[in-house]
Amino acid sequence: MTGFLYEKDLSAMKYVILTSTRHDRMVREIAAELDIPQIKLRKWMLDHFDMMLLENLPARYAQGKIARESETPVEKDLGAGLYTRAIPLLNWSEMERIKGEVYTLIREGKTENEAVMEGRNMIRDVIQ
Amino acid sequence: MKRTVDVSVPLGPIHPCFKEPARVKCETKGEYVLSAEVELGYMKKGIERIMRGRPWQEVMFLAERVCGICSVIHNMVFIEALEQISAISVPERAALLRVIANELDRMQSHILANFSYCYTIEHETLGMYLLDVRERVMDELERITGARVTCAYIVPGGVRFDIRSQDVLHLRANLAAIEGEVTRYMRMFESGPLIGLRSKGVGILTREAALEAYAVGPTARASGMPDIDRRLRHPTYKTLGFTPVSRTEGDNYARIMVRFQEVLESIAIIRRCLDLLPVGPIRGGGIPGIGEIAYSGEAPRGELSYYIKTDAAGRVVDISIQTPSIMNIEACCHYMLKGVPSLADVSSTFVSADPCIACTER
Repeated sequence: MTGFLYEKDLSAMKYVILTSTRHDRMVREIAAELDIPQIKLRKWMLDHFDMMLLENLPARYAQGKIARESETPVEKDLGAGLYTRAIPLLNWSEMERIKGEVYTLIREGKTENEAVMEGRNMIRDVIQ
Repeated sequence: MKRTVDVSVPLGPIHPCFKEPARVKCETKGEYVLSAEVELGYMKKGIERIMRGRPWQEVMFLAERVCGICSVIHNMVFIEALEQISAISVPERAALLRVIANELDRMQSHILANFSYCYTIEHETLGMYLLDVRERVMDELERITGARVTCAYIVPGGVRFDIRSQDVLHLRANLAAIEGEVTRYMRMFESGPLIGLRSKGVGILTREAALEAYAVGPTARASGMPDIDRRLRHPTYKTLGFTPVSRTEGDNYARIMVRFQEVLESIAIIRRCLDLLPVGPIRGGGIPGIGEIAYSGEAPRGELSYYIKTDAAGRVVDISIQTPSIMNIEACCHYMLKGVPSLADVSSTFVSADPCIACTER
């Protein structure tokens, strides 16, 4: 046997999953919110998520968006629950650190919008 | 000296207890399962791609071929989505006949799922009894729709065939027999000490985890989420005064018991439909046209969603199907299997979530 066995390289199948209508719409929305190139976000997801999690992302995203509405304004704007529990782009401790830094910026006199933008930059740094 | 070793144990893709091919990769510490992953791709159909660009009359038949176990609900959700797009109304008799076909389909699916579980925990006797009673349900489905699996019974504006008076009598008699048998088998399952050992407290899915993975259907209802049932929002089901079954244990036992209880509940729903069945037409007519919709229904395994975009000629321009097994298998591999104390419980926990690989791979 010269090539890889199917199980050793799942990227082609994972890519098929990630380009379906619902997945594509979700990737576009997340990429726009976090200001990340779509292709980079897709690559990150292919590298970090297993097949079943990839398949289930649109349902998790829909559920995460509903749960987001009950969060505090800063958590909601950062996507604290959405990007940790629903779509695990970051782990919980990283998000807690980012949230802490955003609250510090607000205490230091920055507006909530500016602080959240800084927070999103931090999220972007973690992902990239 | 006894040594505990960490190994990666693959189950499948071909496994005697799995109905379809899937690979479950378990990272273990001795017998203890630290984490699990499910790999798919052994039977990808690409059915959504085949559907695109085809007229609804062809896609209707393709939709029910997504899954051979719950084909009626695929047919129902696809057609009801088209009806919503084009404001096509359904006569009351046809709406009730749809519910009857759908509930018979749910019954046979649940019984098959419970058979698979009993077979996996090596209680083949109960499994075979269940397969026997499933045949009665399949016979009724065939009597009403003309086919056992891909029935194509539901069409825009109604159903394909009416139910004859002798079929109603036959259905009522068979429902009584099925009810008696399922109640007996449910008691056997409830009271079996070895069944309890293999099922109670195994593969627990907490309510929080079920919410996080967006688990649906009996898998979620066994973890204390009754309001997840899409039938509660369906106009015909609303008139039938239906209460979803739910339990709070969240283990393998609860998932199987929810399915048993739902079979009995489906029997009650069918009886109510037969009592309410008015005299009248079964097809109101109507042709699907241009539009876009996301529509959901309650399949035997949970919420089934279709996103459909059609053009003026009724061709399906874009379609995306989200089947319940996607959510349930994810909940299974990332929550239920994590921390399972024995490798022997991996296959039974996986089967208890009623995974349909055909639906997931579509």
